[in-house]
Amino acid sequence: MASKLWFLIKVSLNRKIKTKWFVIVNALLAILIVALANIDIIITFFGGEFDRKEQVYVVDKTEKSYDILSEQLLAMEKRVFGFDESSFELNLIDKDDYDEFDYEEIIAEEPSSIVIYLMPSENVIEAKLITEVYLGTVKQQIILGALNETKAIIALLETEIDQDELAKITTPIEVERVILDEEKDSEEEMQAAIMTTVFPFVILPFFMLTIFLVQMIGAEVNDEKSSHGMEIIISSVPPKIHFFAKIIAGNLFVIIQGLLLFIFGLIALLTRQLIPSTGITDGVSAEVGNLVRMVLDSEFGSQLVYIIPLTLILMLLTFIAYALLAGILASMTTNIEDFQQLQTPIVIILVIGYYLSIMAGVFTGATFIKVLSFVPLLSAILSPSLLVLEQISITEVLISILLMVIFNYLLIRYGLKVYKVGILNYSTTGLWKKMFKALRS
Amino acid sequence: MLKVANVTKYYDDFLAVDDLSFSVNRGEIFGLLGVNGSGKTTTFRVIMGLLDYEGGKVTLDNKNINYNVTDKIGFLTEERSLLTKLTVKEQCIFYGVLKGMSEEEVCEKVVMYLRKFGISDYWERPIKELSKGNQQKIQFITAIMNEPELLILDEPFAGLDPFNVELFKKQILEMADKGCMIIFSTHRMEHVELFCKKIVIIQDGREVLGGEIAKIKEDYQQKNIFINGEDIKKKDLEAIEGVVSVSKNGDDFEVKIKDASYLDNVFKQVKDHRLYKFLLQQPSLNEIFVAKVGEKYGE
Repeated sequence: MASKLWFLIKVSLNRKIKTKWFVIVNALLAILIVALANIDIIITFFGGEFDRKEQVYVVDKTEKSYDILSEQLLAMEKRVFGFDESSFELNLIDKDDYDEFDYEEIIAEEPSSIVIYLMPSENVIEAKLITEVYLGTVKQQIILGALNETKAIIALLETEIDQDELAKITTPIEVERVILDEEKDSEEEMQAAIMTTVFPFVILPFFMLTIFLVQMIGAEVNDEKSSHGMEIIISSVPPKIHFFAKIIAGNLFVIIQGLLLFIFGLIALLTRQLIPSTGITDGVSAEVGNLVRMVLDSEFGSQLVYIIPLTLILMLLTFIAYALLAGILASMTTNIEDFQQLQTPIVIILVIGYYLSIMAGVFTGATFIKVLSFVPLLSAILSPSLLVLEQISITEVLISILLMVIFNYLLIRYGLKVYKVGILNYSTTGLWKKMFKALRS
Repeated sequence: MLKVANVTKYYDDFLAVDDLSFSVNRGEIFGLLGVNGSGKTTTFRVIMGLLDYEGGKVTLDNKNINYNVTDKIGFLTEERSLLTKLTVKEQCIFYGVLKGMSEEEVCEKVVMYLRKFGISDYWERPIKELSKGNQQKIQFITAIMNEPELLILDEPFAGLDPFNVELFKKQILEMADKGCMIIFSTHRMEHVELFCKKIVIIQDGREVLGGEIAKIKEDYQQKNIFINGEDIKKKDLEAIEGVVSVSKNGDDFEVKIKDASYLDNVFKQVKDHRLYKFLLQQPSLNEIFVAKVGEKYGE
């Protein structure tokens, strides 16, 4: 019977893998993943006015504010974004051209232009900011901040304050930053980085593979059932062998597909390193490199030694659980349409797990989330998330693993009874009664 | 020998098979007959070990039927049991290996049978592209490719033209000659009469008639007389004592009499006419089936 089990596994796998669609889908996935990893390079490759600075036209009727405004804009940008060079290009309108200067014409020619009028006022200076449409909040805050700083400096200058005193006032305050637990700080930074950048790249394939798995098993069981081929199969091998063949084949398939996705990811990273830099994308590449270095160099890097295996074990056990559920549910349905409807709750369970893992970062130490991290099917996503966030310990993850094992055991023990009755049942009449009877048997 | 002894099967409260017994010897073709829903398919599933049953016993060569012996059984279901996305080759290998054959054995056997049934070109073709009749041939081949000791055929001639029915008949008889036990179910009684020595007719899961066909016919008292002669009137025939019914069958009158003892009455009535035919015949199995099942239906 063992040879028949392996034969069934081989047939199931071949039906999924030795198809042109498997090749086409994976070729597309490889292309899309590589493209996604290099999306900024692709965008810049097709060109655009990425280097063009925002044009700011300044009509300085105070005749003393332009230089200060120019300095303050750069200072503000440096403070907010860390830029060494301003993203604004300032154009001072000559005093002789005031009458001829037509801001409407300028904006009509270049709609992104910003026009600033600076005029003397009782309150030192007043300004008028003209744009085609609303400015972004950050950009507006930078300009308004720079204008306020300019006003303050001019006001101080008007008091004929000593230049040295003025320099003291306008120089940004020197702050000595003391962090008592620097490691803690860097760990939190790391956790945040992993939760926001690395984790989605683990969750997304997990989602995708779970859906593949459920669909594969559901479609195969329904295909064999609806064609009555099931009677011939089950007359040759016990339902138990057939059930396990589907589960093993399904899980082997997701492992193969998962490895392929991992390889595509590596290729994507490699291409990112190999493609010549465009200058603009340097920042992104450096960020990725920094993150990897940061993780590996830190204490968190050593924690990955157990976080990764524990996550993989939980995910594998969850794949098995989903495969068992899919097999049991598929045996109860009589056509693929009914099965597809049953898939919806499965997808929702996955989404709940994902959202709760995000919430865990916001509601630190939430008991509700912590309890749910033990719940089978949710634990694959939630438990490693809480472990990364240091809200639970390895012991608690091991408990989640143990619960998953028990859950799978129960699914096998009781699910097999349902499967045995369900696969040869072609009627929806009294379905639940039959299933409960099977469970009691 | 296949022995079905006092098998009883319930679906919840519904009695699907009621204390059914029969046996099939090696080289014998056995007819399991009944109207739709009478319990034939359930009986087949019980024999194949696909269903648990509440009472009785099924044995093949005195052994309980389990997965140690199912490789020796061939099963052709009434519905198409082919996975239509597969090619003929993939399908045959799939079912063949599950029956304990090696892939090479399957290929060798199936190629031979495809040639025999005149569909050699379909070896690599997807099943969904085949006609209904050719799909039935593939299904039949998958049932016999393991040279089973017990072959269960549920409506094997469905969707076949007369030429292919002959091919199937030849193959079935060949297998019986080699000692295969065959259980056969069909609604076409002429096929049953041609193949089977023994039958059982079931209604509501219970046997209403069973045994050797010759004996069944002999025991069935009503007989048919075919009469062809000049100036014979239907109403005169109907008036004879012991006549059940009279009908026109081509140029002949078909007279059904209660039993053979009334033969003389009929002959006396027609002997003075110029007679071309006066033939006493056993009733057909179809008649017996309709009569027996009709009784159960309360007709």
